[in-house]
Amino acid sequence: MTTGLASLALLAEFPFESVYVRSIIYVSLYVSIIAVVLSTLVSVPIALVVGFTDIPGKRFIKSVINTGMGFPSVVVGLLVLFAVSNQGPLGPLELVFTKEAMIMSQFVLATPAITAVSLAAVTSVEENVRDAARSLGGTRLDVALVVIKEARYGIATAILAGFGRAISEVGSVLIVGGNIAGSEGVSKTRTLTTAIQLEARQGRYETAMVLGGVLVAIVLLVNAIVVRLGDDKVMG
Amino acid sequence: MLRADSVSLAYGDETVVDDLTLSVDSGEVVAVIGPSGVGKTTLLRLLSLSLEPDSGRVTFDDTDVWAVDEDERLALRRRVGMVFQEASLFDASVARNVEYGLRIRRQWRERFREQLRSVVRLNGTADAVEDALEVVGMTEKIDQDARSLSGGEAQRVSFARALAYDPDVLLLDEPTSDLDPRNTAVIESAIETARNSGIGVVVATHDMNQAERIADRVAVLLDSDLTEVGPAKAVFESPEDERTRKFISGELVY
Amino acid sequence: MVPAIDVSMPIQRRRFITALGTGAVAGLAGCAQLGGSENDDAPGVAGETLTLTTTTSTDDTGLLDELNAPFEEMYGVTVDTVAQGTGAALQTARDGDSDVVMVHARSLEDEFMRDGIGVNRRDLMFNDFVIVGPESDPAGIEGMGSATEAFATIAESESTFVSRGDNSGTHTKELIIWEEAGVDPAGDWYRETGQGMGQVLNIANEQSGYTLSDRGTYLSQRSEIDLTILVQGPIEDGPEILANPYGVIAVNPAVHDNVNYDLAMAYIGFITSPEGQDIIDSYEANGEQLFFPRALSEDPDFQQYVPEGWSSDSAEN
Repeated sequence: MTTGLASLALLAEFPFESVYVRSIIYVSLYVSIIAVVLSTLVSVPIALVVGFTDIPGKRFIKSVINTGMGFPSVVVGLLVLFAVSNQGPLGPLELVFTKEAMIMSQFVLATPAITAVSLAAVTSVEENVRDAARSLGGTRLDVALVVIKEARYGIATAILAGFGRAISEVGSVLIVGGNIAGSEGVSKTRTLTTAIQLEARQGRYETAMVLGGVLVAIVLLVNAIVVRLGDDKVMG
Repeated sequence: MLRADSVSLAYGDETVVDDLTLSVDSGEVVAVIGPSGVGKTTLLRLLSLSLEPDSGRVTFDDTDVWAVDEDERLALRRRVGMVFQEASLFDASVARNVEYGLRIRRQWRERFREQLRSVVRLNGTADAVEDALEVVGMTEKIDQDARSLSGGEAQRVSFARALAYDPDVLLLDEPTSDLDPRNTAVIESAIETARNSGIGVVVATHDMNQAERIADRVAVLLDSDLTEVGPAKAVFESPEDERTRKFISGELVY
Repeated sequence: MVPAIDVSMPIQRRRFITALGTGAVAGLAGCAQLGGSENDDAPGVAGETLTLTTTTSTDDTGLLDELNAPFEEMYGVTVDTVAQGTGAALQTARDGDSDVVMVHARSLEDEFMRDGIGVNRRDLMFNDFVIVGPESDPAGIEGMGSATEAFATIAESESTFVSRGDNSGTHTKELIIWEEAGVDPAGDWYRETGQGMGQVLNIANEQSGYTLSDRGTYLSQRSEIDLTILVQGPIEDGPEILANPYGVIAVNPAVHDNVNYDLAMAYIGFITSPEGQDIIDSYEANGEQLFFPRALSEDPDFQQYVPEGWSSDSAEN
């Protein structure tokens, strides 16, 4: 009981009003949310195409998705770094050590997860429902939208899975972002995870733990919000 | 109005329908009877303009459906409604389900705006939905979650859903096979209402009594062949084809 | 290979203070010209970003925030400090992804210059390394005046030694000492971790082992660990080999035309100016001075500009 209160006290003392802490939370959320949104816009259509059409190379795409889910994230970081580095094909865009490069890396990591779970969700929509939508005069797009709505809980789960993967990322965002914080303490590419890594590296485990607590709290909060939205049937 | 001429379709090696000719006009009920199997469903799907026959023609108001471009075919397809054996309602409210056909026929910008507001409160949609639900006696449950309905209630909503956008043709595939007598009666009454409002109705059923009750004309589908097509009374009382006679009298068992 | 530092540090310090006095006026005047008095003359670099790659131990001390803030304000620019570890910092510069590097591994800096990637090197500052270990001192190296002898003794007694093992400046120094001591460290007692200095100190603490640490990191963790300094560095009259000099080098714009050379030179100019050196001199952590300025002296110091041992008379460049 006392240790619980002690950690709560530590959390309460935590300098949330500090520009530094707020800025690293902001960078974490900014990068992860944008990456997940972009990834969802790509993943759900892919899931629909793979689930319901007969395009050639379907099996290949499926195995790419499955491999991607287990792909070591730090390797993704290296590949993105190579791409955006001055030496790489995207060099002229000057994206190295920027939030944009981090978003690219998160996008590559989140997409397989979101696609795979979405695929399971949309293919579990009964064929009868799709037939009904079509028989009522639906175009392929109409039917796709119906499928998405019917599978909305599964897709929400997919998005949460992608978000979880993105915001927990350390290695790849460290490599492509550079963990930069300005001299006034405002983070440019430092996230909660890379900040934790920094504190741990210097042996400041207590601070690292508190930052970790903040990260966990954010993940729980996002989960709760998405589940709540589902319950309200806002999309009903 | 809607006519299938000498249509044939095979799945792989198996011939499902063979050289069938069937038409439906406005304001009539045609019952297609025969044993449970693939043939009736396939025939209905051919008539719903979503399945192309291997040979033969399907015409709607004298337009060859499969000879025109996709946009025109979509417009024709949207004049047909279909009710299946299973209700297959969407995971949404009854109102949302029934207005679906109306909503997708609107322009995209309007659809987006409707999505953001709560359902059914604009542009005559509300009226159409209520009217359709009234035909099947489900107006009380308009805001209820569709998944919470009983089987019979769901099927009634499914009927309203197909009716709401005022189709010219309504196709029903064994609509009351899973229903109790009370709900069956509601559906049959709704079929009559539809017929009286000028819709051409085709009902596939294995229940000959039902066919006798509701049909103006009857088509008998046996072994991928239409053995008999004619006025209901004539078919039941004096069938021309031997197989038809045996089927109706219960001698042919499938 | 002995680093070219003036042996008697106090003399250096005195010289620095004199230089500060006489050079201050001239320096500040120069700064005023470079910086531009008001915005209408804002230097062409205003609004730009300088990418500096450096080591994690340098960044962890917090010195760079102190140095960068006045520079940023003076020029209206932003300094992005990427703390990577010595090897990565130099490699990033080789790839053209940074504008200036600040590291403390002279041999690697020399290679960097020899390969033509680095130009305009300046000595920046120095601190030193210390050999730390458990108070019980199983190898008996306390107070030794020779780091190589201490390392040889540790190897002979096979006492636990924790190494950075990560190609950092500290690790590079450690390898140099082993080489000088004629020892090839291998065996259960020698543990390569691939971790940062702070973590290595924690590990050495837990395993009651020895390690080589920069003085700054050790001082900042002193209260949390039970290790003590057994062999001092040159700041406290220890052997020269434990000196840890820092250099700052700009990336050659002829090799990578995308680097911000103007801003890199302005930065180097600032941190080696009397004002910058003063910031370094007065920077403290836990009440102790961490770095000692080295950029300015009355006497010429040509060795800072070229790879060590280079002279125009020698055949190789």
